[in-house]
Amino acid sequence: MNRLRERVRRLLQRPGTVDLAPFRRIVRAAGEREAAVAALDDEALRAAVTALPTPFRDAELIEFCALAREAAVRALGERPYDVQLLAVLALLSGHVSESGTGEGKTLAGAIAAAGFALQGRRVHVMSVNDYLARRDATWMAPVYERFGVSVASIGQSSTSEDRRAAYAAKVMYAPVSEIGFDVLRDRLVTDPAEVIVPEPQVALIDEADSVLVDEARVPLVLAGAAQGEHAAPVIAQTMRTFLPGVHFEVDDERRSAHLTERGTATMERVLGLTNLYGEGHVEALAAVNTALHAHALLRRDVDYLVRDGKVGLIDGSRGRVAKLQRWPDGLQAAVEAKESLPASESGEVLDSLTIQSLVGRYPTVCGMTGTALAVAGQLREFYRLDVAVIPPNRECVRVDEPDRLFATAQEKQDAIVAQIVESHRKGRPILIGTLDVAESERLAMKLRLEGLACKVLNAANDAEEAAVIARAGECGAITVSTQMAGRGTDIRLGKGAAEAGGLYVIGTGRYPASRLDDQLRGRAGRQGDPGASVFFVSLEDHLITAHVPESTSISTWTVGHAQRVAEGLNLEIHRGTWGYNKLIEYQRSLVLTHRDRLLREDLAPEIIAGESPEDFKRVRTEVGEKVANRAARLIMLHHLDECWSGHLAYLGDLREGIHLRVLGRQNPLDEFNAAAVTAFKRIENDTRTRSAETFTLAKFTENGVDLEASGIRRPTATWTYLVKENPFGTEAERILARLGRTIRGGGRERA
Amino acid sequence: MLTAITRAFRTPDLRNKMLFTLGIIALFRLGSFLPTPGVHVSNIQKCLAQGLSSDAAGVYGLINLFSGGALLQLSVFALGIMPYITASIILQLLTVVIPRLEALKKEGQAGTAKITQYTRYLTIGLAVLQSTAFIALARSGQMFPQCQEEVLLSQDIFPLIVMVLTMTAGTSVIMWLGELITDRGIGNGMSILIFTQVVAVFPQELARIFRSNTFGFAVVMVVGVAIIAAVVFVEQAQRRIPVQYAKRMVGRRMYGGTSTYIPLKVNQAGIIPVIFASSLLYLPQLAATLFGNTTNPNEVIRFIQTYFANNIGNAYYMTTYFLLIVFFTYFYVSITFNPVEVADNMKKYGGFIPGIRPGRPTAEYLSYVLTRLTAPGSLYLGLLSLVPIVALTLVDASQNFPFGGTSILIIVGVGLDTVKQIEAQLQQRNYEGFLR
Repeated sequence: MNRLRERVRRLLQRPGTVDLAPFRRIVRAAGEREAAVAALDDEALRAAVTALPTPFRDAELIEFCALAREAAVRALGERPYDVQLLAVLALLSGHVSESGTGEGKTLAGAIAAAGFALQGRRVHVMSVNDYLARRDATWMAPVYERFGVSVASIGQSSTSEDRRAAYAAKVMYAPVSEIGFDVLRDRLVTDPAEVIVPEPQVALIDEADSVLVDEARVPLVLAGAAQGEHAAPVIAQTMRTFLPGVHFEVDDERRSAHLTERGTATMERVLGLTNLYGEGHVEALAAVNTALHAHALLRRDVDYLVRDGKVGLIDGSRGRVAKLQRWPDGLQAAVEAKESLPASESGEVLDSLTIQSLVGRYPTVCGMTGTALAVAGQLREFYRLDVAVIPPNRECVRVDEPDRLFATAQEKQDAIVAQIVESHRKGRPILIGTLDVAESERLAMKLRLEGLACKVLNAANDAEEAAVIARAGECGAITVSTQMAGRGTDIRLGKGAAEAGGLYVIGTGRYPASRLDDQLRGRAGRQGDPGASVFFVSLEDHLITAHVPESTSISTWTVGHAQRVAEGLNLEIHRGTWGYNKLIEYQRSLVLTHRDRLLREDLAPEIIAGESPEDFKRVRTEVGEKVANRAARLIMLHHLDECWSGHLAYLGDLREGIHLRVLGRQNPLDEFNAAAVTAFKRIENDTRTRSAETFTLAKFTENGVDLEASGIRRPTATWTYLVKENPFGTEAERILARLGRTIRGGGRERA
Repeated sequence: MLTAITRAFRTPDLRNKMLFTLGIIALFRLGSFLPTPGVHVSNIQKCLAQGLSSDAAGVYGLINLFSGGALLQLSVFALGIMPYITASIILQLLTVVIPRLEALKKEGQAGTAKITQYTRYLTIGLAVLQSTAFIALARSGQMFPQCQEEVLLSQDIFPLIVMVLTMTAGTSVIMWLGELITDRGIGNGMSILIFTQVVAVFPQELARIFRSNTFGFAVVMVVGVAIIAAVVFVEQAQRRIPVQYAKRMVGRRMYGGTSTYIPLKVNQAGIIPVIFASSLLYLPQLAATLFGNTTNPNEVIRFIQTYFANNIGNAYYMTTYFLLIVFFTYFYVSITFNPVEVADNMKKYGGFIPGIRPGRPTAEYLSYVLTRLTAPGSLYLGLLSLVPIVALTLVDASQNFPFGGTSILIIVGVGLDTVKQIEAQLQQRNYEGFLR
């Protein structure tokens, strides 16, 4: 029956959507209970909620909805609409609910989280940033209180005590990256009592599409301090004299750069090498390559900012300095050298985790967002999540005007400014969505020249942004912002703004996915407010030049096509990354299970006693069983961790060139997996033998083992960061796709 | 390989996948025997037997080989997987010609899905054409010119339309079966079905050889197994050119270039040169049949008739065939592997062959290795294709010696790919004894 329904949906071109009819019945029934529930006093209300038998079935859900509505009324003075209860039910069933801005997602999410908590499950509500996590937890605290459910939140600056306490709460709000970092840090502990993150149960994800799709492949990295990584200043100096087209060339899409003959010759002279590509110069070549990348491809104020003597990456999609992000593999150091800044600390990667794998740890996942339908296929493919499209409480009357098309960027700019001037004269609030921070600044400058005052959101802090964006609906306000800035905050119309036509959203260019366009449009027209949106597109926009470089005139089809190409590429990259990550994920889970056993059981002494029985016996009689066991455990944990990080490095290296296998008509993914499995099998053996070796040579005192002397050093400092999408890796995936198509084309003819 | 399969059968989900694939293959074979309504089954069998023992046995044998014996029996699956393959080739060529299709292809998965949909429509169109043509042939008695029996029960238009519809529907079902295998079974559906078609005629052919000449049968078996072993060996042979990606690993030793390499296969071209060469050599045969019945054939036609049509076990034919294959091997390799493109590609992403500069020097090096490697590759393909002809002359076996070059390449190619896929899937699940 289910499959039949799925078929019909596929036929209607709406795969992966949920039928709301059963939810509607429950909400209707809950509405009938409203008066009865309202008669209960606070104590009785809480008692009724906690008395609900678990797990919730239809009858309990009806009662829960009715009670939750009453609780929200009393706690916040807000009566949840029927559609909000629909969203609650969709979340409780483990779906992604799609409802527009201003439809009260936060409250719906809180009720759903409480619903899970009342059924005895721990809920992690994942937000996109610290500000939203803290705000939502505080804002919704009264609701949770009525249910007797404990709530907490953490952020970047939380101490480990704070974290431990927060994770103990029934419901915890946290930025998704913080949870990931905690999981990563936990895998370094040497004492079971140090583990912070409890077993994952329910993840409720806010802005689910951006977390699950846009950021899914961003790796969170745990690094340990290593020998300082210095980009040789001489390379950066030489690089400054290099000119495009003479010493190096940049490809059309500004995705990669390489030295010309002349550039290579100059570099060789400076470094005193005869052949940069000869054996044994890999290190030097790598340094040159990263320096070239930093010099030729990364633009100050577009890709990064220099502030307080530090390089800050600009998150392209949010237009915000991503405090926690770093470039991988020496690129960070190369950029610092380019800007003549002191090198920041760096380290070896101990482990990493993608957000997709983090989410995959939770047996129950649900989420909410304003735009999920467009990625329903991906949510289904990668997370087995269905989308529930929640209707708006009041019909959206926003007017989405057709795109305005221009031949040149200049014409487009002028038209945008003219449009803003005109709309502003009527007192209409205007929100301008730009593609990046640099564009925001440029536009703001132009507007100021026209004598218009405007607020610019650029990489400032989240709380300030929220305050600014909240006022963007006031009469006469002009706000310039990148697409993601201030997400999660409603724009309410000020006095007189509705009469002027409501919020006018202007996009200065289409985004690489129609879903992102819709997010911007969705800023206007909340709760039946009037509003309008329009996008300005020119033939010189990056979207068009990058994806439809051959087009000579612009049409609606060209724009849509460019966007579809971009979406297709992103999907392919996502799928590629996921394909490669799946196996690594599986291997990691094996290693972690093993590590956990080493940590909690007496497995380590057993293994070492098995490897070198004499030495173990000798040590045990010398220092006693307790010290010997502890030493065995520490040594084995160390070697396991080291082998794993070595394995990860090997896989990273393997990954880099695996696409070349296509040339021999092999499937790169299969080849990768085969090599990865072979390498993985070595870990166990290596851990055993190295541990036994270390144990035999270790110096023991009454206090325990002197690990320092054995060359075992726990990383003195660890830190965590997000890797900015690997600039080389994604390229490899793209060639892979292209080569694959060529060869497969040949293969098919062959068949 | 056998251990891989037995182990796969012990892994539940892999076992299910394999059983599913086998089930589909069984269905596919069933449909190849199932006669289309309106066919006179016993008459067509008689005509077929007669055809296979006549002068034109070569042509019938070839058709039988590629349709798994279904076409000449006018079964429900008479058209086999060929219309689908033809359609996908046509659409691939069209994407080069038609900008809108090219644009669709660029749009990634969504676009490809649309192209696949077009391929399916075209397949149906081709199926209608082909089935109509074959039924028209059968109706006029030209399918088996020597046979006097009536192969159709009725000459009326309505039963004929039903036959066309049945065969077309059969083709659509085959298409679906192939996609089912790709989706839920093991291996690539299209290849598996071709493999099935090729292997399907083996028992029949071998039985025929056995009946006519027991000693010949023994020789054929020994030679066949030896050839298969040799082909498996050569197909897996590759030259690995090490490639390094200059990327810095902090605080970690660099791993050598052992795992990053370009695998250049000895038989980089695969089966296409053989197919090209034999189709090209089929043209004179065709010309001879078309014009050869004139009472006074001219020199050229007589030459063709003597050396290229009736008896191909002669030096002229064999030399031409061999040279064509060598030529097409080089030709095809030069098309599919462009050293300049590969070198550019590596240069762009920081890869290099140790000791060799990126760009032109790398392209030259690749080209040098490739040329040297293609030499044995092309000789191998040429020799392999001559085997059935030589066998024919030596042992006097039937002309459709089943271990011919084309069929062996298909069998070994698909077989290797599939086993490799099973092994790959097995490997990911099988961590026996690890860290427990």
